Amino acid sequence: MAQKSAPAAADPAWAAFEAEALPHLDRLFRLAMWFERNRSEAEDLVQETMMQALQSFHRFRPGTNCRAWLTTILQNVRSNRRRARGRSLLVDDPDDRIGHATPFVPPVPQELTDGELLGALGRIPVVFQEVIVLCDVEELTYKEIADALAIPLGTVMSRLHRGRALLRAELGHRRQSIVSGPTSETTHGMPRRS
Amino acid sequence: MADSFLGEELLTETNHEILRHLDTCPVCRADLAGRRALREGVQRAFHRAPELGASPEFIARLRNKLQDTAHQGSARRGVRFPGWWALAATVLLAVALGLAYRGRDRITATGALARVAVGDHRYCALQFRLAEKPISLEEAAQRYGAAYRVLERLPADDVMTAIGPAHVLERHACVYEGRRFAHIVFTYRGERVSLLVTAVDGSVTPALPGETLPHLTSPSRIDGMSVVSFRASRQMIFFAGDVVQNDLLMLAEAVGEPLYRGLAATESAGARRRSLGRVRSKISTRLISESEQLRQRSRVSCSIVAINEDSGSMRQPYPILHNQ
Repeated sequence: MAQKSAPAAADPAWAAFEAEALPHLDRLFRLAMWFERNRSEAEDLVQETMMQALQSFHRFRPGTNCRAWLTTILQNVRSNRRRARGRSLLVDDPDDRIGHATPFVPPVPQELTDGELLGALGRIPVVFQEVIVLCDVEELTYKEIADALAIPLGTVMSRLHRGRALLRAELGHRRQSIVSGPTSETTHGMPRRS
Repeated sequence: MADSFLGEELLTETNHEILRHLDTCPVCRADLAGRRALREGVQRAFHRAPELGASPEFIARLRNKLQDTAHQGSARRGVRFPGWWALAATVLLAVALGLAYRGRDRITATGALARVAVGDHRYCALQFRLAEKPISLEEAAQRYGAAYRVLERLPADDVMTAIGPAHVLERHACVYEGRRFAHIVFTYRGERVSLLVTAVDGSVTPALPGETLPHLTSPSRIDGMSVVSFRASRQMIFFAGDVVQNDLLMLAEAVGEPLYRGLAATESAGARRRSLGRVRSKISTRLISESEQLRQRSRVSCSIVAINEDSGSMRQPYPILHNQ
C-alpha cells in the first residue's frame, strides 16, 4: 500500500509521532502477537494501542523511552479488553506456589534452537512470560516494567527471578525429555496460559 | 542478583563488588555467562520468529490510518483555532479569568470583613462581650487617626429616615477579631443596630466612590443579621442589625451622605480635590439612570446624594454596597 509522505512535513505533530513512535511498530506487534497468539487479535490490539498513543502523544515526554511508553499503553488496552471479556490474567497467584515448584534447576543446554527457547518461554505461566519478555526482549528497566504492568517494583524483581528459574528448568527438563523420550506436557503443575 | 547485574539494575558499588568476585570465581562466571546467553538467545529468537512478525500490509494500513487521523485532528484544530484567533482568544480568556479572579478576591475580602463587622455588632452592641475593652473615639483618634474624631459628631444623635427615627445610644472604638472599628450603636425599628467603620486598604475595594460598580457581595443576611455596606475613600462602612434589610438600607441612606463627606474631609485638601475631580469626571447620566432603574426594580440601589458644588462639593453618587 502506498504511503503518504507529503503532508507529513506540514504537520509537526504527525512528524514527531512518526519519528518517535512508528519505528517501534514491528516490535510492538511481536509483543502483541506473543501474548495474543492470534494475528487478528494482535492487529486489533496494536491498532488500538497506536491510535491511543497518537491521541495522547502530547503526554509523551521527549527523551524518555518511547517503546516503554507504547508498551504501557498496549498493556492497558490488553487489560481493558480482558476485563471487558470477563477474563483475568490469573486463575490464582502463581507467586505463592512457584517457590516450591522449582527445587532443582538442571543445567541449561549450550545449544538451543529458537523454537526450543520460545517453546520453553511459552510454557511457563504468563505472568512470568510478561516480565521476561519486557525485560530481556524489550529491554525495559524494572521501573518501566512495573509501570507497564501496574505492579510493584518488588513484584517485578521476584517474578523475574522465579520466571528465569522456571525458564531454565523448562529448558533443562525439555532437553532431558528429548534425550530420554516423550513425557508429560505439564510444567511444574502450573497453568501454561490463563 | 546475577540477573539484576546483567540487567544493569544494581548500584555501581554493588556492580564493582560482583566484578571483583567474578575475577576469582569461575563457577559464578560460568553461571553468569549462561544467564547472559539465555537472555540473548530469547531476545534473538523473539525478534527472528517469523510467526510473530507483522505483515507489511498491516504496517502500511495502520500507518496510513494513523496519518489520516493525525491530519483530521490537525484540520479540526485548524478550523477552530487559526493562529491569530487562538492567540486573541487566549489573551481574552486570560483577561477574563484575571478580572474574575480579582472580582472574586474583592467579594471574598468584603464578605469576610462583613462577617467580622457582624461579629462585632453581636458581641459588642448586643452581648457586651469583647475581649478588649472599648475606648473612646477621641482616644482612638489620637492613637489611630482623625477619622475616628469625625464619628464623634457624625452621624447626629437623632437621625430621621424615610421610615422612622434612629437614635444613637453609644459611640466608641472597639476591636473584634483583630480589626478595629469605630462603632456607633443605634436604636432603630425597635432593635439595636450598629454602624461600624473600619479602615481598609486597596485589597477590599480598589475603586473610588462613584466609579465602581455597586458590588453587592454577600448574602442578604450574615449570621442572622442584615448587613448593608459601602465604601468611603479609606474606610469600609457597615450597617448591621436584626432588622428588615430594606429598613437597614433606609438608615444607611439617611446616614451615609454626611458620613461620607465627613470622612472625606479628614483627608488632605489636595487628596480631596483629586478625589472629587476623579469622581466628577466619572459621573454620568448613564450611571444615574442605571441607579434609578435599579432602585425602582429592587428597592435597593445606589443613592444620589445632593452636594452643593459651590461649597466645594458636588451632587455626587456614592455606592451603597449592600447584600441582596
